[in-house]
Amino acid sequence: MAGAQSRRAFLIVTLVLVAGALLTLVYSSFTGALVYFYTPAELKAKEAELTGRKLRIGGMVQEGSLEKTPGTLKIRFMVTDGKERIQTAYEGMTPDLFREGQGVVVEGTFRPGETFQADTILAKHSEDYVPVEMTPEAIAKSKESILKSLK
Amino acid sequence: MWIEIGHFAAILALLTTILQGGAAVVGGALDRPAWLRVSRHAAFAAFALLTLGMAGLEIAFLNHDFSVAYVANHASTTLPTFYLATALWGGHEGSLLLWAWLLSLFTALAAWRHWSTHPRSIPWVLAILAVLLTGFLLLILFLSSPFERLFPIPPEGRDLNPLLQDPGMVFHPPFLYLGYVGFAIPYAFAMAALITGRAGDEWVLATRRWTLFSWMMLTVGIVFGAYWAYYELGWGGYWAWDPVENASFMPWLTGTAFFHSVMVQERRGMFKTWNLFLITSTFALSLLGTFLVRSGVLSSVHAFANDPGRGVYILAFMTLVLLFSFGLLTARSDKLAAPARMESLVCRESAFLFNNLFFLVASFTVLLGTLYPLAIETLTASKVSVGAPYYNKVFIPIMLGMLVLMGVGPLLAWRRASWEQLRGQFLLPAGIGAAALVSAFVLGVRHPYAFLAIGLIFFVASTHLRDFHQGAAARMKQEQVGYLLSLFRLASRNRRRYGGLVVHFGILAMVVGFIGSGLFQEERNVLLKVGDSLRLGGWTLTLESVGQQKKRNWQALEAVIQATHDNGETLQLRPQKRVYNKHSQPTTEAAIHTGWREDLYVVMGDEVTEGSWNLRLYRNPLVSWIWWGTGILCLGVMLALTQGRRLRRKTA
Repeated sequence: MAGAQSRRAFLIVTLVLVAGALLTLVYSSFTGALVYFYTPAELKAKEAELTGRKLRIGGMVQEGSLEKTPGTLKIRFMVTDGKERIQTAYEGMTPDLFREGQGVVVEGTFRPGETFQADTILAKHSEDYVPVEMTPEAIAKSKESILKSLK
Repeated sequence: MWIEIGHFAAILALLTTILQGGAAVVGGALDRPAWLRVSRHAAFAAFALLTLGMAGLEIAFLNHDFSVAYVANHASTTLPTFYLATALWGGHEGSLLLWAWLLSLFTALAAWRHWSTHPRSIPWVLAILAVLLTGFLLLILFLSSPFERLFPIPPEGRDLNPLLQDPGMVFHPPFLYLGYVGFAIPYAFAMAALITGRAGDEWVLATRRWTLFSWMMLTVGIVFGAYWAYYELGWGGYWAWDPVENASFMPWLTGTAFFHSVMVQERRGMFKTWNLFLITSTFALSLLGTFLVRSGVLSSVHAFANDPGRGVYILAFMTLVLLFSFGLLTARSDKLAAPARMESLVCRESAFLFNNLFFLVASFTVLLGTLYPLAIETLTASKVSVGAPYYNKVFIPIMLGMLVLMGVGPLLAWRRASWEQLRGQFLLPAGIGAAALVSAFVLGVRHPYAFLAIGLIFFVASTHLRDFHQGAAARMKQEQVGYLLSLFRLASRNRRRYGGLVVHFGILAMVVGFIGSGLFQEERNVLLKVGDSLRLGGWTLTLESVGQQKKRNWQALEAVIQATHDNGETLQLRPQKRVYNKHSQPTTEAAIHTGWREDLYVVMGDEVTEGSWNLRLYRNPLVSWIWWGTGILCLGVMLALTQGRRLRRKTA
């Protein structure tokens, strides 16, 4: 029965090889695909170690900071968490929820001292829509909770 | 009034379910048939009571009863009746109630159908299902009740989230839940088999159709979700590897692995422990899916932790189910020795083994990507996300590997395939696959994955067609009837096998759609003035006008775009940016033209400067293949479902 045994061994070796290859694929893809999230203040604090990394910045679009270049889809705005702010640029269609004073998450590669060039702007689409008729206090409170949940 | 009746009925259902569980355990352990009958009727009663509970909430919705907090949060007087009726599962509380109601429905069905056929298992099946339902009802009644009142009563509700006002989203949760909850029955049978110590083939046979049914519903539910994302979210795609989507995909992957490897147990008696592990994982992942989506943990771990009751309860419930299931499995695994051993690399068993390996790695990939960010956020202060590139990098090779297995698996002989057989079976399909590769190269396909996928799709399709053809031809000769009739007879004699092969055709069509839309999508993000044109694929698109539209509970800005194809075909696209009355945020309504070759997909943006509009346009090749591929898949499952519980029939 040497034939049967070697056939079985062949099966096991193939199985192990295929499983190993698949897991290597998972591992290598995984480690390269992690994108960390920072607030502007955290980013400023860790500037050196985060240079050249792909990351996400979360905060609010600062009131009065949004500039559009006429005739193009280019925009510039500040992302702020109340302490620090990051100058950000983006080209393309903005999400429905994007506006000044709203929570925003931008993704791109970080280079300190330069304008943060965002590849993507993410809007949170949560189930809890805020109704139109809201008091100013309620709006302030919901902004606070947006900032908190972004953190 | 009705809401109180509903609430009261739900409380009674909880008590009845506890009775069902208790009576089943006593009846099963002490062998008292009278107690078992009590348990069975309690199961029927719990279903009737929960139906009343659902009806109470439904009536509250239809009457715009805003004194019910859940109704006030998810409906309004201007909401169209269709969405009003289905807003019941538009939020956490109501969808958990739907889950519980479906579980009680399936429990009642199991108590009815398996009562006389599986007398040994049924006490434990009833007991386990009762524990699960009790868990859900406790959560619903004490921690997330849809029956709660609101005071003062608001004159108007907060309305249903506009994104959920779409047929795709109306049908997505019920189908998904039919799948999730359906897996509870095979799971309960598996546990019953372990408890009674008769973990042979009985539970596999008893639950084959439950598994297939649940798998089909889960598939349909997932595709409805993808369809909704495609039509409603307006980003040009249908699958973003979002944790919410992943949550439903994981039980699908392990479920698919399960009903493949179960065939090995039926035929060869192997993989017994493995199958129990798979069905337990599938059900546990169904639970995880429900909770991930419905607990708020995904939007923020901290928000979740701030609602301590619900969070702790759900974690405790999951832990209990996992500990019980895997504990029982470990304790009884000594009874599960296989009578046979795998003999060679090239045989049907090993094809199934590799199939399982691929599906398991696939679900591990998704699990890792979904839970790792949650773990990091809970354990450290940082927040991390795992993007779509990770999944795409892993899944495309896995999908190609699965295609290979799909092509060879169904044709390989059990135990050991000989060279002669292999040559006879695969020479022609391999030739066709190679020819497809050459043609693809000549036609200019250079993307390595697309190139390989085309060859494999043709290879798999030809192995399957060959299988149908040979069977039909043999029958034609034998019975002296026409080709179509013998094809029909062939499929109806062995509905399981041919149903399965039809499912494979459905999957193939879906793969065509994934490859086409995933690798060959074209996108344009432009500024257009009225009268401007642009080229996309073979199309010329012209912005004709921009105007206002109004309906009962929304108004919209609408662009009219004229599209002309080089072959003369013309059509009009009308993308909108809508504002619903109760909500300040606008939502985009993409204009989509669907064809078998490609979809045109246009999203309306803002007026960036006076008179020029931002529009995003996509050409999505072959997307519709995914939708009708799902239809073929369902036909295949239904064909397989019609075959009864016969085992070990000799296959032709």
